[in-house]
Amino acid sequence: MKEYEGRMRLIVKHYPYKYRDFSHIAAEASLAALDQGRFCEMHEHLLKKSPKLNKANLISYAKELGLDMAKFTDSLNIMKHIKIIERDKKLAIDMDLYNTPTFFINGRKVVGNRPYEYFKKIIEEELK
Amino acid sequence: MINPIVEILNSKSLRLAAAVICLLTILITTASAAHLESLKIPPVPADNPQTPEKIELGKRLFFDRRLSGDGTMSCVTCHDPETGYSDRLAISLSYPTTKNWRNSPSLINTAYNDPLFWDGRAKSLEEQALFPMMSAFEMNQNLDFLEEELKGVPEYVDAFQKVFGREITRQRIAMALASFERTIVSRNAPLDKYLDGDNTALTPEQKKGYEIFTGKGKCAQCHTGANFTNNKFYNIGVPENSVLINDPRVTATMRFTAKVSGYKEYRSLTEDPGRYLVTKDKKDWKAFKTPGLRELALTYPYMHNGVFETIDDVIEFFNRGGGVDKNKTPLLAPLNLSDAEKRAIRAFLLEALKGDVTVVKMPDVP
Repeated sequence: MKEYEGRMRLIVKHYPYKYRDFSHIAAEASLAALDQGRFCEMHEHLLKKSPKLNKANLISYAKELGLDMAKFTDSLNIMKHIKIIERDKKLAIDMDLYNTPTFFINGRKVVGNRPYEYFKKIIEEELK
Repeated sequence: MINPIVEILNSKSLRLAAAVICLLTILITTASAAHLESLKIPPVPADNPQTPEKIELGKRLFFDRRLSGDGTMSCVTCHDPETGYSDRLAISLSYPTTKNWRNSPSLINTAYNDPLFWDGRAKSLEEQALFPMMSAFEMNQNLDFLEEELKGVPEYVDAFQKVFGREITRQRIAMALASFERTIVSRNAPLDKYLDGDNTALTPEQKKGYEIFTGKGKCAQCHTGANFTNNKFYNIGVPENSVLINDPRVTATMRFTAKVSGYKEYRSLTEDPGRYLVTKDKKDWKAFKTPGLRELALTYPYMHNGVFETIDDVIEFFNRGGGVDKNKTPLLAPLNLSDAEKRAIRAFLLEALKGDVTVVKMPDVP
């Protein structure tokens, strides 16, 4: 994102894996962090720490990021953003997506983790 | 009475003639090993003849995510028609929460391969098709469950009756998939036209690349025949993929595979033993199957662990005489190719082997 600052927009949609215990609450944690302007940091943290993503883990990660803990734990407790998560899941199902991560770069579909150079090539083509 | 001098001469002549015949035999064998052929119709096993209905059934199964345990993966996940019937990843996609350990081979011209997989553990496409479905780190499906699941889909019940005249079994699922996979071919590459007599089919640079491929480059020692593979196994010293070595999930996959393959020291395994897991023969340690080379431009990255991103990386690797391994094949030695020769062989591999690939669109999956 830094390399293409001002030329590219990243939109993240949630598609928690149906058979993972903590995937929904982890998505909630990322949105609770978004409320405090720290989505990207939390998102990175979750990817690094996976699969240690139970509620206690998530709270400790929020502390590490210096979030307002009362607001954060409230969000987790009531699953404040569940409607957004469910909306995103429906979108994925409607689009017949089934693998995470799946990327769309100006409509070009890329499935699975890829090396940076792989994305860079497509981004450069799309920016021309 | 026989003249003793003549007799000695005759004896010498015979020995000389025998030596000449031996030499000729060696030359002919070498020439034949380096022989490339244009692509003909793929072989079909007598017990699984191709029919349009069976191919169509196989295509639907190929796209059907019921074939995976959690319904998130189909054969297409790793063999996507949009990406050269592979997935363009160094290491193939895997069942959620697990990691695979090998590159997904392209299915283009897989009908000509025997045996299959990087380690050759399957003797036919019919045998091959069931492996990924059962694999814990690929599709992770239980085949007894799958049979019952498909029997609950009226369209499949009807289709299996029409195609086989019998009910759904795992063997018939595999037969239908194999029939479909035999239709995924690349034909009419410039090289095919050239080998069939059209001298204008290759550019001068591609022709030069062809000559290096079959001559100085010694590529056709192993990449021979119509599909550019002798279907044999070699340790060429491919470096380990460092991404894999450091991932405990890959270690789990590697040791699990070694364990179910009967490798006693599986707990201490730190590298991919390749063909050895199938044969238990030391000479096969880290040996992998010679891949076919058609449509190379579509099927990157290369090698069993996807460690080479471009064909230039591969050419440099062979130009160095392969990698470093105590069990490396003696067939490889430094080639001392010039930059122009490397460019020529690149043009040959990426352009002259590019033909018309079967186009597959997603069918209606019931």
